[in-house]
Amino acid sequence: MKKIIVRDLTKHFIRSDGSRLDVIGGLSFAVEEGEFVSILGPSGCGKSTLLNILAGIDHLSGGEILVGGRPLLGGENGVKLGFVFQQPRLLNWRSIRENVRFPLEHGSLSRDEQWRLAQRYLELVKLKGFEDYFPQQLSGGMQQRVAIARALAIEPEVLLMDEPFSSLDELNARKMRAELIRIWRETGKTIIFVTHDIFEAVYLSNRLLVVTERPACVYESLTIDVDYPRNYDDDRLFEMAKKVGRFFVKMEEGHGA
Amino acid sequence: MHITLKIYSVLVLLIAWVVLSFVFSPQILPGPIPVFQAIGENLTSGDGFFHLYKTIFRVLLGLAIAMIIGSAFGIVMGISPKGEKFLESWVMVGLTIPAVVYAIITLLWFGLNDFAAIIAIGITAFPAVAINMWQGVKDIDMQLVTMAQAFQVPRRDLILKVVLPQTVPYILAATRYALGISWKIATTVELIGMSSGVGYMLNYWFGLFSMTQVLAWALSFTIVLLAIEFLLINPFEKRVTAWRAVVQV
Repeated sequence: MKKIIVRDLTKHFIRSDGSRLDVIGGLSFAVEEGEFVSILGPSGCGKSTLLNILAGIDHLSGGEILVGGRPLLGGENGVKLGFVFQQPRLLNWRSIRENVRFPLEHGSLSRDEQWRLAQRYLELVKLKGFEDYFPQQLSGGMQQRVAIARALAIEPEVLLMDEPFSSLDELNARKMRAELIRIWRETGKTIIFVTHDIFEAVYLSNRLLVVTERPACVYESLTIDVDYPRNYDDDRLFEMAKKVGRFFVKMEEGHGA
Repeated sequence: MHITLKIYSVLVLLIAWVVLSFVFSPQILPGPIPVFQAIGENLTSGDGFFHLYKTIFRVLLGLAIAMIIGSAFGIVMGISPKGEKFLESWVMVGLTIPAVVYAIITLLWFGLNDFAAIIAIGITAFPAVAINMWQGVKDIDMQLVTMAQAFQVPRRDLILKVVLPQTVPYILAATRYALGISWKIATTVELIGMSSGVGYMLNYWFGLFSMTQVLAWALSFTIVLLAIEFLLINPFEKRVTAWRAVVQV
């Protein structure tokens, strides 16, 4: 079943001098239920804008987005989407537990239910025992785990991740990627993962969308047919990464010509 | 450790006062004992409380006006670049004009009454509030705001749970500044044009050349301000910023 369908999506901003900046130019793709799709593109190509539109922070200029068959609506009646940002974006004055509970507080769940969910997802990201800590007492990787728990706690239909590991050092990022795969397989969530790191995209996803420079559109869609859990030394992944690398070179040349 | 150091600092001040009071004559610097005796007599005689109450009443109402106008200015200046350009010069002018000028103008306009005093206090103290709130609004982390929007947090929760907690340190700083300013301008207004309050009593005892009473009144109000700081503002601050203390360990 198609979880997300994006059709001819366009987005432009009007700059302060009145000129128009086309960020997304006719982007189309579909994501299957339970799929892990990475969106890979050069920095500043509009990937984050795409996620912001999906999350309802930004509005689309044209085209349509269907989530679970329904058109995407902003606001409280919209589809539940969990968002993990590049930075943890935690509320420093709240404990870890209260941070995870934060997006549940305005919902219809009872207090007990809210705490139960927060606890459950804190355990899923392996932060049991840190519930009463404050964000700044934790390392960057642990803070990002809290952010993942917070996004999962609302039990979203889709998890949107915007370069969530790009501010971590490589060793921590590797650990977190493995954790993310474990969490994805345990929860069966549909994940859209934005990154500019080719190997990260190849290692994580079922499918990979290579997106062009601004105005963004899909250049290539690749299926990565390697079983999970994957190994960092897997030659098939390396081959795939090389192939994607060549796409970027070709895309660059096409752009220049 | 922290508290004992505070006690020592007060003790050192008291001892210095005692020593100096032996050096100078009582007309120039009376010792702590006669001054505290005077405070006690003022308060037991009946009208001591009345004058203290009058000043506190004016200070608190003036402070409230300053907080409301100052916050409105600060928020507009923090949110809108146009508002910032438009209001910045007003705040700067407000800050530059000597407080006594506001006192004289309001007394001339509104007469020798509480209303004039309160307006003078509000106008004098508001620029300090505006500047702090302006900074506070500018320092709001917009990334946290978009985070809350992505989680579809309603506007009310967004303001109460994400925006307001970030501005608390600035609100506290604004309150402290404004309180200090308010009390200084309150005594000035009372000295010029009121027939009650601490400023009026200071003027009265100045006329009688009673250094003991001048110090007694000044000290009375200082004690009130310290009580507000240590019984209200400080405990509130400790409560809302408790997480900082934990994080710093």
